[in-house]
Amino acid sequence: MSTEPEKLLVVEDLTTTFATPGGPLPAVGGISFNINKNETLGIVGESGSGKTVLSRTIMGLQPRTNVTVTGSVLLNGHQIVGASENEKRKYWGIDVAMVFQDPMTSLNPVMRIGKQIDESLRVRLGMSREAAKARAIELLELVGIPSPERRYSAYPGQLSGGMRQRVVIAIALACSPKLLMADEPTTGLDVTIQAQILNLIDELKERLHMSVILVTHDLGVVATRTSRIIVMYAGRIVEIGDTREVFTNHRMPYTRALLESSPKVTNPSHTRLIAIPGRPPNLMKLSAGCSFAPRCAYATERCHQERPELQSSGAPGHFFACWNPLPASQGAPTS
Amino acid sequence: MTDTQQPLLRVRDLVVNFGKGRHTVSAVAGVTFDIFEGETLGLVGESGCGKSTTGKALMRIIEPTSGTVELDNVDITALKKRTLRGARTRMQMIFQDPISSLNPRRRVKDIVAEPLDCWFRHADNRDAVVSDLLNKVGIDPSVYGNRYPRQFSGGQCQRISIARSLAMRPKMLICDEMVSALDVSVQAQILNLLEDLKAQYGLTLLFIAHDLAVVKNVSDRVAVMYLGKICELGPSDVLYDSPAHPYTKFLLGAALEADPDSPIHGDVLQGEPPSPMNPPSGCRFRTRCPNATEKCAAEEPLAREIAPGHQVSCHYPLAITRK
Repeated sequence: MSTEPEKLLVVEDLTTTFATPGGPLPAVGGISFNINKNETLGIVGESGSGKTVLSRTIMGLQPRTNVTVTGSVLLNGHQIVGASENEKRKYWGIDVAMVFQDPMTSLNPVMRIGKQIDESLRVRLGMSREAAKARAIELLELVGIPSPERRYSAYPGQLSGGMRQRVVIAIALACSPKLLMADEPTTGLDVTIQAQILNLIDELKERLHMSVILVTHDLGVVATRTSRIIVMYAGRIVEIGDTREVFTNHRMPYTRALLESSPKVTNPSHTRLIAIPGRPPNLMKLSAGCSFAPRCAYATERCHQERPELQSSGAPGHFFACWNPLPASQGAPTS
Repeated sequence: MTDTQQPLLRVRDLVVNFGKGRHTVSAVAGVTFDIFEGETLGLVGESGCGKSTTGKALMRIIEPTSGTVELDNVDITALKKRTLRGARTRMQMIFQDPISSLNPRRRVKDIVAEPLDCWFRHADNRDAVVSDLLNKVGIDPSVYGNRYPRQFSGGQCQRISIARSLAMRPKMLICDEMVSALDVSVQAQILNLLEDLKAQYGLTLLFIAHDLAVVKNVSDRVAVMYLGKICELGPSDVLYDSPAHPYTKFLLGAALEADPDSPIHGDVLQGEPPSPMNPPSGCRFRTRCPNATEKCAAEEPLAREIAPGHQVSCHYPLAITRK
């Protein structure tokens, strides 16, 4: 046995480009990373940074037309990019499963929740009706739904948002996937329910030996729940590293700006926020240089001309894309 | 003079019921608070706790079932339609969704000018007033004045909403989840802008939001709502440092800090809020409260002051630990 951890997912130079009437829109522009077994990786970014498109591309869920995907996604040894629908169907549920953002719309409103869990058990695992029902009830219990036998025949409309998200997780877990992709799993839920759902995902990850990708815009969600994080901006990775390293020793000015602009419960009231001027760029009109340069306080001529590639910070596994990085010692947030 | 002690807005036993008879939902079940001139009161709570309904009932966008709302000693709830319109110019509201709260078929400068036109104010120098308002919120009127809302991002639309709400020079602004649809980087811009304008125009704010960190950032005092009632109200720094109501403590414990060293709270609040159609007897939080006793079921806890300006509705408030 080698000491190198086993890679469950290897993404290499992945791009996703949508054809729009206004020209090509590079939503994901050349991304490489990997995930080890039993690891939680966070992907953070603002809206439009490409995090959702990235996670859908990894799943192979992009639309059939008007989209070009290049690069490679190796999931548990299977190539997802370019795979046919039939091939992908073999991996979905078993190798990778997804929890979508909106628990209100990701369930079929006119189908009992038990049937929605049964579906993948019967189709994918070929279980009998009775066995599937027994397993579905087990899954409902696993995700912490009280009186699962009764809930088995409930409709989604009879459940609250938090309960519905638990059902969505139960569906995702039905075939014991090796990788669970959670795209904003708690956005739209209340804070107390959010804490319940995040604890549940954590607990299930340990129990079922899964890897988890947690996609979110909320730095608070990834801070304590992930071992590594990726910070995305305008379709690219701008910083990647161990969570603690990225939070305390970030080198990319965008990461710092993102941390400083979010209000903190621990700060006294009326603390002046350090806002990032401007707004995220139009992906159809990206400059040749760094996408963050127009909003960056440290930008120089070179930043506008030439795109920085990811470079190592010295710490293992910590990379950032910046020509004028923050000094290593001053990376910690000032507040 | 004690004019700083005179509340600008005085809300007493505000009740809003939806529906009739057996199907009555009591969204706001008797809310009492004051807002003093020049201060910001934050109103936090989870979805369905009645915080937005409270905000709308103050403006009578939703008619309150009972209770009084006094703005500058004028009882809004007793006004006839015509005088209510006049009173509303002094209290304006900013809504959650910046894009849908602007008329998509009107130009930005006309949107901001509409309140002025309705009230025949500044008829002679309307354009100058509108330009000044747009400049104040950071939108260049000569470049963007003739554009339509769809040509702007969410953050810019929220700036336009703010300009419109200031056109009547209101004394009071009600901000209902005004930054929750925005990204953090834009959210910080809008929150800073709001603080600047508050100082410049001498505004008094009711800031309604679910995000605890955002509310603390802008508020002088914070009220926490649960299932239609205020369970705790106090100066924001005190309330966040030493919450006295068990619900406030759980709510703060569930808030996630962007800090890898912050502890993960094991004691997460279990269950979900009960239905407001059939609220629990006594204390509304008792079904989820670890400290609940029979007294909590039998007797509703009334708001009582445990420290100057810090009131809590709980039979067994948590020990105050001053830092």
